[in-house]
Amino acid sequence: MASLSVRRALKRSGSQILTRQRRTSSRAYSSENVEDTDVVIVGGGPAGLALASALTSHKIVCDSLKVTLVEAGDLSKVQDWSLEPNVFSNRVSSITNSSRAFLEGIGVWDYVDEARTTPIQQMQVWDGVSDARITFDASDIPLGSSNVPECSHMAQMTENLNLQRALLRRLSTIQGLKLLQRVKVDLIQRENRESGTGWPLVHLSDGSVLRTRLLVGADGFNSPVRSYAGISSYGWSYDTQAIVATLNHFERSPFQAPNNTAYQRFLPTGPIAFLPLSPTVSSLVWSTKPPLAAILSKSEPGVLECMINAVFRLPEISVRYLHQRILDSGSGMSKEQIQEEIAWRERSDSIPSHSAYASASKSASEGGIPPSDAEAIPSLVTSIQAGTVASFPLRFNHADSYIGEGAGSRTVLIGDAAHTVHPLAGQGLNLGLGDVEALTRCIIRALGQGADIGSYTALIPYARERYFENHKVMAAVDKLHKLYSSTAAPVVWARSVGVEVLNELDSVKAALMMNAGAYGHTGGNNGSGWNVLARGVEVLAGTASAGKMLGAGLSGVIGQGLQTLLKSGGQR
Amino acid sequence: MFSTALRQSTRLQRSLQSRRNLQTASTVNAAEIAHFSRLSSLWWDEHGEFAFLHRMNPVRMQFVRDKLLEIARDEGDENTARLGAGRDALSGLDVLDVGCGGGLLSESLARLGARTLGIDASESNIGIASLHASADPQLSSQPGSPSSSGSLQYRNTSAEELLKDKKRYDVVCSMEVIEHVDNPPAFLSACAELVKPGGHLFLSTIARTPLSYLLTIVAAEYVLRKVAVGTHTYSKFVNPSELVSFFREYHSPSPLPSPGADSTRPSRPWITRTYDNGLPTRTEAEIRGLIYVPWKGDWVLMPRSSTAWGAAECNYMFWVRKPAE
Ligand SMILES: Cc1cc2nc3c(=O)[nH]c(=O)nc-3n(C[C@H](O)[C@H](O)[C@H](O)COP(=O)(O)OP(=O)(O)OC[C@H]3O[C@@H](n4cnc5c(N)ncnc54)[C@H](O)[C@@H]3O)c2cc1C
Repeated sequence: MASLSVRRALKRSGSQILTRQRRTSSRAYSSENVEDTDVVIVGGGPAGLALASALTSHKIVCDSLKVTLVEAGDLSKVQDWSLEPNVFSNRVSSITNSSRAFLEGIGVWDYVDEARTTPIQQMQVWDGVSDARITFDASDIPLGSSNVPECSHMAQMTENLNLQRALLRRLSTIQGLKLLQRVKVDLIQRENRESGTGWPLVHLSDGSVLRTRLLVGADGFNSPVRSYAGISSYGWSYDTQAIVATLNHFERSPFQAPNNTAYQRFLPTGPIAFLPLSPTVSSLVWSTKPPLAAILSKSEPGVLECMINAVFRLPEISVRYLHQRILDSGSGMSKEQIQEEIAWRERSDSIPSHSAYASASKSASEGGIPPSDAEAIPSLVTSIQAGTVASFPLRFNHADSYIGEGAGSRTVLIGDAAHTVHPLAGQGLNLGLGDVEALTRCIIRALGQGADIGSYTALIPYARERYFENHKVMAAVDKLHKLYSSTAAPVVWARSVGVEVLNELDSVKAALMMNAGAYGHTGGNNGSGWNVLARGVEVLAGTASAGKMLGAGLSGVIGQGLQTLLKSGGQR
Repeated sequence: MFSTALRQSTRLQRSLQSRRNLQTASTVNAAEIAHFSRLSSLWWDEHGEFAFLHRMNPVRMQFVRDKLLEIARDEGDENTARLGAGRDALSGLDVLDVGCGGGLLSESLARLGARTLGIDASESNIGIASLHASADPQLSSQPGSPSSSGSLQYRNTSAEELLKDKKRYDVVCSMEVIEHVDNPPAFLSACAELVKPGGHLFLSTIARTPLSYLLTIVAAEYVLRKVAVGTHTYSKFVNPSELVSFFREYHSPSPLPSPGADSTRPSRPWITRTYDNGLPTRTEAEIRGLIYVPWKGDWVLMPRSSTAWGAAECNYMFWVRKPAE
């Protein structure tokens, strides 16, 4: 919830900065209250806080650099954040094994409340149209392929606030950082110097001005640092909104595996994901069309729960029908109405009431021996935790460069300020942590060479390490989204046949395996997995749009791709 | 900025003229200084003509730093562990940067803790370098700044002039300079004399090979226009073997005039022995090739083992140590 207001604040501040900059760019600053500093990090989100922690975990940084972090929001609320054991925040991320290894290395993971995290042991992903499905678990991660030693799980579901609080707690033990919270960056100017080497001047809402060697934009999607640097970005918004919520559900029976399987069903309107947090609580990320998201997230209690259960269970045609009914209703339907509709669809789809696929017509859903198909779908949602329903617009966005040049020099972008990606592969935050790791390494190395860490030359290795790496991941995730939301005849035809689609799912599998940290973001030579995936998806998408979905050839390409991928992983 | 640089360079030209009239023994080539003065205001444009120097600087610094640490370690300096990790690898050392240009190397040396003096025969370069350093609080060493930096000063003078001072240096660097001077032996002697006994001399330059001709003159100046035409003169390029021969012969002619020392004892040459292939031993001197890897977009220091001469086919680094006496 906190992140919602942060997001709004971010939007406001972004536009304000632009207009004020235009008006005051010629204004001279008074030099009295200008403070010299080496690094200013704008943004106290996961990326900014992680960078502050990573930098200050090095003695060389504490000895030779002044580092300041500026965050508009109230971080003391994050630091004091605490919830009852089975109550969870709605913003949750899967932390990959490699991200976790990085966080351990900088001494942050010790401060994460691990009892509130859940390891993911298994993932089930299926195509909503054909019902082709793949199941994979931690044993699919090629042994020794990751920079993480033995790991019995694929990723760890962690509330963003749990992570941010850990970062803040770690930072409170460190002397080397100046942390300014509830202070906004109002304006960024370029210092006026005869020699043409002016440094950025960061005007803060508390009236002070920081003159900085390096300005780091960890300031999210609407990044004011990015606009100051004059870096344009490439992207679009998906016509999709992600509904998030914290779900209470039945505990899985003693006959079933515990609640540590992540479920994701791909529908033409977007994927719906069920991510475990505890035996009886999971997190929802449901990407769907904005009008539907608007009605659902404001609907009366019980409606969203019924819809979530139905959308994971009913045939795609029935899901489509329900969507239409809700849209037609305008202001939304009552719980009884929607239950009636769902029960009717279950009858016409001949789903027996004892089946796990039944939700509305179910008699007694708990106790006894579970139906044989129960493992294939998540537990029945009983209620939604108060105040946790929210929705976010989804977009693809990639800055044209991570380093500012010319009039925007001495700037660098990390996290969502540099890239925003569809959440379907759970990569956004992990990519940001990968940036932090690379930028820290780059700065440490430059310090050892006596370099000016604000110079373009000193920062190139960071951009070189991350830009194409991130781009590959982003492109693959984007293509997967497009592929599944496609209604192009050949794709739908392929889905209806169902066989070839398995190979598409192999790509999803590859994506999620990467997510699992099978291919860590440390070191340089880690792109192969994503390379193969990106190529596979590209071929698939290309073939599909060309309208010649030649099953055999296609499955060959993708299947081979995946094999290469797994093999190359195993060898490392 | 441009007009200042121009004014400065004309003034410089005049002073050079007068210096030549006075028949000062100078190895500085007036035409070349004028050439660089025109360009010096562009020094700090990392995307401009000097982009290649900016890119090369981290590798040069790595070489200097690693070599100094290696020697310190060889000699059992207990402080090396501390030095290896920190930003003060050069702290406590007097370091001279001969032909400092816009101050690229000097600034880095100072940031690693060296008491640095940058000298350049071009007044405008000294102007640019001083101006640039003044923008950086780490280099203008304000009290209370957390940096462990050494100090940084610039002087508009030549190595030969500086010899007149008594001060000698733990480390003397001269990067991409020797290929531009008129009398390399005299220049080398001057640099060598500025080194304290047991101190270090670092050079970087370009070998005279068909490859270097192709890359630095044909490609960089004429084809790619990355460097102004006339920047390099092929015949002035110096081969690594020539540097080795120079220091096999070279004795420090003027031991420090300290009253107690026996100043008549002939000193040993800087390089006393070489292997069959002509290479010096690791503790006396070292040659390492520097190559530009286009697909990495970066300069890379060739490993010692790459070829007998450290793959010094074009750009290379040279290190030699003055005998401790
Ligand atoms: C529905 C959804 C699900 C997701 N699921 C996952 C997942 O499973 N796994 C995953 O890895 N990622 C996931 N992500 C992505 C992840 O949440 C983001 O990538 C991550 O939060 C970005 O962090 P950041 O620090 O870069 O930016 P932000 O979190 O946006 O932080 C930017 C900060 O900058 C501050 N700021 C901005 N302007 C100013 C200013 N002018 N002055 C001062 N401060 C300023 C803001 O207050 C804010 O705190 C998901 C995203 C969504 C929308």
